[in-house]
Amino acid sequence: MLNDIFNILLPHMCLGGFIILQLILSIIVHPRLYRYARLVSIFGIVSAIVLLATVQTEPQYFAFKNSLMSDSYTLLFDFMILLCGFFCSLLTRNLVKTIKGNAYTFHAIFLTALFAGMNIVSANDFLTLFVSIELLSFSSYFLIASRKGYYSKEAAFKYLLTSAVSTGLFLFGVSYMYGITGSVNLSDIYEITANQEPSVMYSISSIMIVLGLISKLAVFPFANWIIDVYKGTESSILAFLSTVPKLALFGIVCRLLVFPLNNSLELTFVLALVSLLTAFWANTYAIREKNVKVIFACSASANASYVLLAASLVSVYNLSTVIFYLICYVFMNISVFAFLNIYGDKNSMEVEDFNGLFFKNQGLTGAYAISVLALAGIPITSGFIAKIYLFSAIASSGLIFVPFLLALLLLTVAALYYYLKILLPLFAKDCSGSTSLTAVFSQKFVLVFTALITVLVGIFPEIFIELCRFIAYNI
Amino acid sequence: MEIFLSIPFLIFMPLAVSLLVISPLFTRNEIVVRRFSKGVFTFHFLYSILMLAFFDKANPYVSEIHFFGLDWVQSLGIKFIFKIDAVSMVLTVLTSFVFLLASIASKFNIRENQKFYYAMLLLLMSAILGIFTAGDMFVFFLFWELELIPAYFLIGGNWNGGKWAGETGCDAKNSAVKFVLFTFLGSMVMLLGILLLYYYNYTLNGILSASFSDIIDSPIPVSIQNLIAVCLLIGFGVKLPIIPLHSWLPDAHTNAPTPVSMVLAGVLLKTGAYGIYRFNYETMPESFQTAAPYLAILALINIIYTAFAAYAQTDIKRIVAYSSISNMGLILLGMCAYNRIGLSASLFHMVAHGLVTCGLFMIAGIVYLRCKNRNINILSGIAAYMPRLFGFAVLIILASIGVPLFAPFISEILTIIGAMNSDLSEVLKFTAIFSLPLLILSSCYMLKFLHKSFFGEPAEAYEKINDITVHEFVVLGAVLAGLIIFGLYPNAILGML
Repeated sequence: MLNDIFNILLPHMCLGGFIILQLILSIIVHPRLYRYARLVSIFGIVSAIVLLATVQTEPQYFAFKNSLMSDSYTLLFDFMILLCGFFCSLLTRNLVKTIKGNAYTFHAIFLTALFAGMNIVSANDFLTLFVSIELLSFSSYFLIASRKGYYSKEAAFKYLLTSAVSTGLFLFGVSYMYGITGSVNLSDIYEITANQEPSVMYSISSIMIVLGLISKLAVFPFANWIIDVYKGTESSILAFLSTVPKLALFGIVCRLLVFPLNNSLELTFVLALVSLLTAFWANTYAIREKNVKVIFACSASANASYVLLAASLVSVYNLSTVIFYLICYVFMNISVFAFLNIYGDKNSMEVEDFNGLFFKNQGLTGAYAISVLALAGIPITSGFIAKIYLFSAIASSGLIFVPFLLALLLLTVAALYYYLKILLPLFAKDCSGSTSLTAVFSQKFVLVFTALITVLVGIFPEIFIELCRFIAYNI
Repeated sequence: MEIFLSIPFLIFMPLAVSLLVISPLFTRNEIVVRRFSKGVFTFHFLYSILMLAFFDKANPYVSEIHFFGLDWVQSLGIKFIFKIDAVSMVLTVLTSFVFLLASIASKFNIRENQKFYYAMLLLLMSAILGIFTAGDMFVFFLFWELELIPAYFLIGGNWNGGKWAGETGCDAKNSAVKFVLFTFLGSMVMLLGILLLYYYNYTLNGILSASFSDIIDSPIPVSIQNLIAVCLLIGFGVKLPIIPLHSWLPDAHTNAPTPVSMVLAGVLLKTGAYGIYRFNYETMPESFQTAAPYLAILALINIIYTAFAAYAQTDIKRIVAYSSISNMGLILLGMCAYNRIGLSASLFHMVAHGLVTCGLFMIAGIVYLRCKNRNINILSGIAAYMPRLFGFAVLIILASIGVPLFAPFISEILTIIGAMNSDLSEVLKFTAIFSLPLLILSSCYMLKFLHKSFFGEPAEAYEKINDITVHEFVVLGAVLAGLIIFGLYPNAILGML
């Protein structure tokens, strides 16, 4: 057991240690010293990132009786999750200021969420997976509700209810899977089902499992919650909420699709259909919206659907495109929410409120504009390469998916329309009503750094694509 | 000498200058910005002329950019490769020339926010040059998408401080959004075609590459090739435009400021024609030959329908915009002939129409600037107050309706000859026979424009307007000179092919 810890679990343990430290500090430290909570979190995350170097990846390592695993795939996702956590904790300055006394508790919950995210990716066991997902969800409720006011409580409660439904779906699928195979361990399930003709039960169970997992990412039948949740949540938490769960859940869903659940054709078609419906719902919903946060909620849902379509058509090549898309997407999204964080959080963030900001703060608004353009898939940004790479994966999956791809491509036109709706007021000449931005260094750093990465990946994509391919081929 | 001729410099110089101009470090003095940009455009034009002078059609310019010793996306076989053959060379020089004219014409039309304006104009130029010279499908697509953003701002921007209704303001924004959405819709369908072409070429040919030279004549099954061709044609058809996809064009061209209209009609539409040439005509000849008769019928509809539509317009800019669509139909018809004459006619008409439409939009802009009005029912007798403009207008309008001595005459005649000689299908001959009398329609609407606005009773309201200034004289003079030179010596372009 000690071997397991030293071989792959040091980053997890480090994060766990810092969670306990934050909880202790929350009792003993005076509320006046609230601002050090952020520093402790950042220190914890950075040391966890450093400790990732100790994780054994070659060959795959299974710990705790096969319930956790580690390879280069989980290492990459752990790294991305921690990096997102690092950026998000830099953005929490304004939020922590409003909840002074609870700052340390807040950051303990924040670290717990990261811990859960890392655990989800490394899970090799449906029970571990279930517990980690619940941990992530429960931390998310508190994080969402941490902002003062009615809307955040409403958002947290809605998230709780929909999460309960998705958990139910997931458990339903797992129970069937246990009935078929007599095991909840992913490796065992793979061994048992690999050489069998898939039964109806197996298909139902795998559909339920995957739907349960991805309904947390706002796919079609379970998508409406995302509007209210995004409306009511503080932007630094949104930066977290739109990246870490997405990384963690797509991390595990892709791995499930690649090896234990890969021989069900029904699953592929259900997922492709779900993805298409999600894209349709999200992209058309946002057309008439005026609230920036709601538009980004729809954009998050739409992006999840593109990734889902590529992920459902299982192949190693598709996996590499999914990883690349997720990496690019995470940076764009953090950048976008960093800008909203700088802009300051209000309940209503109408697109007109941003009128003429470009002419007041060229650098910051320019970085934001680059990220929005990247989300829309305009060239010289990583979004363009990521979209082409992802769609190329779908195109290579056979003529039968061409109609799906065509539909997605046409829906991205609607996406461009709402991204333009966000973008254009920034350049409007009439700048009455908007105030100029004031940002501290940490916020500026996150915004500019992530936007810079977006551009750099757009210009030199080869290195990152090569990395993603290496990881996908080594799974 | 040839070591100074670099394609990356030709394409990325405007991009670099645009970043320089928009950066906060650059001067805010609007006059300096304007003169600096004009200098850059002039330099670029001279540079492209230099490249033309050293051009040798047996050895087209080829240049490949590596990033850290790797191809752009090596694992997907996407190379950042540029190739300038004869068609690209002609269109590159045309682009450079039209942008130079547009920058000269900008002086009186753009009053506000010139830093942003010139940065966007330079960025658009880079994107268009990239389209004309790309040697790889994905690089082509990259520039195709890149052009959207500057084009949006140029069409929808508020460059006059909203002083006059119509040219700026809300309508301009809407038509810019319309332009972007139409183009993006087309380009997404086009992307599907590109991806399919790329994958079928990879699986059947075994070469992981997206460059045009590796895809020519790849053994893709005809049914798939037709599917790909349809996808690509929808993408290019939006830009060209082919008739059911054209409705963005009159709005965008009417609401954009004069120099931007010149660029849009003069060069941007040609990217669609160039795309059809590069992808369908050259890369997938088999499917193009299947599609050519249908396209020829669409081209004929383009010519007839928009001629009637243009006749019904009262706004002079809309007349010119519809005449552009009509002329693009002629370019398409030339290409559909699928022979040497048709292709060279098509290329020649791209240049001729580029020049004519620049001149026409300039005239419309000058009239609008002076009279604050573009309605031919209200305008009357301005020839009395602007005799020099009148002279230019008569000559350029005569050129546009295909009078001998001017360039469009040559290309119209060659297009018809090309279509008549086509051995693809009888439909081509049919369209050629019908398009010849229909070209008379162009003289109807153009002469109506001339007649109604310049002749007639001189209105008192326009008594105080001035004749054209030096800037405008230079633009119109350059256009006219080009039209006459190519009209007298068409071999300058026809000999390139």
